[in-house]
Amino acid sequence: MKNIKYIKFLFLFTIFFTCEDFLEPAPTSVVSSADFFTNEDQLLAAIANMYDGLQGANDTSSNSNHATQIEFYVTEMRSDNTRSKSGEGEAAQFDDFNVQPTNGLVADHYRSFFNVIFRANTVLANLGVASDENRPKFEAEAKFIRAYVYFNLVRLYGDLPLVDRVIGIDDTDISYTRRPTADIYDLIVSDLLAGVENLDNSNGRNRASKAAAQALLAKVYLTRGQNYLDAQNLLEDVMNSGYMLEPNYEDVFFNEDNSEVIFAIGYQSGQAADSQNFSAEWLNGVGRTVGVNYVTDDAKAVMLESESAGDIRTGVSMREDLIQPTQTQVTKYLPDGDPGGADGKTFTFDARLAGNDWIVLRYSDVLLMHVEAIMAGGQETNAASALSSFQAVRDRAGLTDAVTNITKDELLLERRIELAFENQRLYDLVRFGKAIEVLGAFALANGTNFSSNDLLLPFPQSEIGLSNGLLNQNPGY
Amino acid sequence: MKNIIYKMIAVLLIFTVSCDDLEKYQLPEANSIPDETPPVASFSAIQGEGFEFEEWTLYQFTNGSTSATMYSWNFGDGNTSTDFEPTNMFPGEGTYTVSLTATDNLGVSSTSTQEVVVVEPEAPAVPDPVIVNGEFVKLPKSSGSDCACSGWINRDLGEQGESSTASGLDVVKFDNNEPDHIYQEFEVVPNADYLVETSIRHSTTDGTMPSSLEIRVLAGSGYEAGYTPVYYTDTAVMPQGNSSTGYWGYRSIAQVENADNNLKIQVLDNPGNDDYNNVVFSFNSGANDSVVLFMRGIGGDSSGNYGYNSGNEEIRSAYVIITAVEN
Repeated sequence: MKNIKYIKFLFLFTIFFTCEDFLEPAPTSVVSSADFFTNEDQLLAAIANMYDGLQGANDTSSNSNHATQIEFYVTEMRSDNTRSKSGEGEAAQFDDFNVQPTNGLVADHYRSFFNVIFRANTVLANLGVASDENRPKFEAEAKFIRAYVYFNLVRLYGDLPLVDRVIGIDDTDISYTRRPTADIYDLIVSDLLAGVENLDNSNGRNRASKAAAQALLAKVYLTRGQNYLDAQNLLEDVMNSGYMLEPNYEDVFFNEDNSEVIFAIGYQSGQAADSQNFSAEWLNGVGRTVGVNYVTDDAKAVMLESESAGDIRTGVSMREDLIQPTQTQVTKYLPDGDPGGADGKTFTFDARLAGNDWIVLRYSDVLLMHVEAIMAGGQETNAASALSSFQAVRDRAGLTDAVTNITKDELLLERRIELAFENQRLYDLVRFGKAIEVLGAFALANGTNFSSNDLLLPFPQSEIGLSNGLLNQNPGY
Repeated sequence: MKNIIYKMIAVLLIFTVSCDDLEKYQLPEANSIPDETPPVASFSAIQGEGFEFEEWTLYQFTNGSTSATMYSWNFGDGNTSTDFEPTNMFPGEGTYTVSLTATDNLGVSSTSTQEVVVVEPEAPAVPDPVIVNGEFVKLPKSSGSDCACSGWINRDLGEQGESSTASGLDVVKFDNNEPDHIYQEFEVVPNADYLVETSIRHSTTDGTMPSSLEIRVLAGSGYEAGYTPVYYTDTAVMPQGNSSTGYWGYRSIAQVENADNNLKIQVLDNPGNDDYNNVVFSFNSGANDSVVLFMRGIGGDSSGNYGYNSGNEEIRSAYVIITAVEN
């Protein structure tokens, strides 16, 4: 009888000690995320993975995350700058301020960028394997990416789920709870402050840098309409960091890695995994669409008027569609810089595998933000430092008449032309408080229906459905 | 006849009673089941910008209502609208009760009411900065005797300018062959132009090392890391740049002489007369909301604790006035 007791004890102990190892063995034949990260090289792979997420997939599957490659649909095509060529299909919903919650491009965009946030959070969760020396840099780099993505998302969707760590499928209270934009901006600002403090400008233009964090933080402050002096100081720091205007406007786009670019999402030509297709989509029947992101009559008129005053940017930014002369194409991102022959669609290489980097931040944007920071919410400025920043941008464009005063409307117009088709216009209109007025008039002239509710995208219907009633749709949808 | 009347009444009664019964068997129509998605009215108001056409009285209304098809606005100034997102020009400043009633096709409605306070925005004017004791009156210091230099001492950067009088008025004096200075921090609007006016007298030329007065406007961005300026109005509590009274934002002559920290440098040589000569110059505050006015006598040798000395003559200043330049 005693023996049995001991044996029972023995069993208990045995079970106790062996359970963990026995029932949850580390798999030896496959890698799992739980125990993957053991050294710094692997963490570097996770960092590269964030940029891979921003690049997006260059394919035609509607299940893929296309990320930056489809960003123009939800930004530039919702402004008065561009539209679809045919006016048909899902893409045309953006032209007409008639975006449906079921729009697949919106779902793709939302999904893609929350996936990038997941990738950034994965880096942040595994900083333990980094050396003490590199850890703050890696942390700042991941936070910069997270802030960049959230800044775009919060301006496009409004209140958002606040995901500041790796979450699982059961964390529905996080993934489906919309937090006020102020909370999202708190995270963005604290992430960017970490970037300003711990990043440097040594990693090239396709990775996060101190200057990129400074410029982006300045834009966040301008968007919030506060900290104008902080914004000005950040921008003046960038202006003293060795960046400069490329003398020839065209070279900004076709001489990659030039000293005007502060942060760009890198692509490699000819490689399916690292190339982009938006360059092809913007032409006539080169991509899989018949042509999207075509120039609106409104933008065309503004660009041509400036050209008649000597503006060289117009000729670089757009051209007549060589097959359909009534239509106007964007030419800032011609596939690998090739104009496509006599018909604008004949290439000696696969134009759908283009390598043009997508420029996120460049020096002329910084100069124009500098003017905006000095204006500090006012209607105009004639401060000498603002004039000199503004003049530098105009001089490069061939508009050398001396500027003595800058109004808010003139600044907005300058941004429209200088940064045309670079996915800035919608954000600019909103930030300048002109979106309702300008887009309202634009819609009226085109016989479409615009309301202030159109300034925010709908939450994808798929997300609303998955949330089991937790997610509220934006008003107007 | 009576019978007929009774019959009619009976028929009437039957009709009255049976009508209710009949409705029970009607197919569901309007209002027969509850409105599962009643409208919720919601809106916000955005003030216009500008003064030329009183744009500040023009409000753009945005409509965030849900589940509604018809909208009725009452702006509280007698104006109404049925547009989705109307604009309204209010008659002037005042508080207006604006209401939006959103109604759906089932006739269910929701009303949202807000007070819209219309106030003319202040034209962005740059105020004149506040300079404490700009007339160099003998006032109490945080330590030591009263001085025309009170409010102007930073012992990290030099010895204090001293009290003196001219025509019965207090003036501040930069002694010959001494590292005398005056220093004051004040608040400014960023990127604004300011005018500095002062009145300076050099004593009669005397010796081989003539004195010059150096005037610098120093940027607040050059303050010691972590320093936050405090704008005192009572000279008796001001720091003087030492451990017993507290320190200012600039702690060394090296910081003062760093070109990045200087918004303006004016050097006034001896004009060869001993009159009070008016001096006027301007500066732009740049990316600063705080700046320093710093003056010292130079021209002497570089001996002593501060590495500079005034030359052979005394210099006096009667006042400093700083005003914003109207654009």
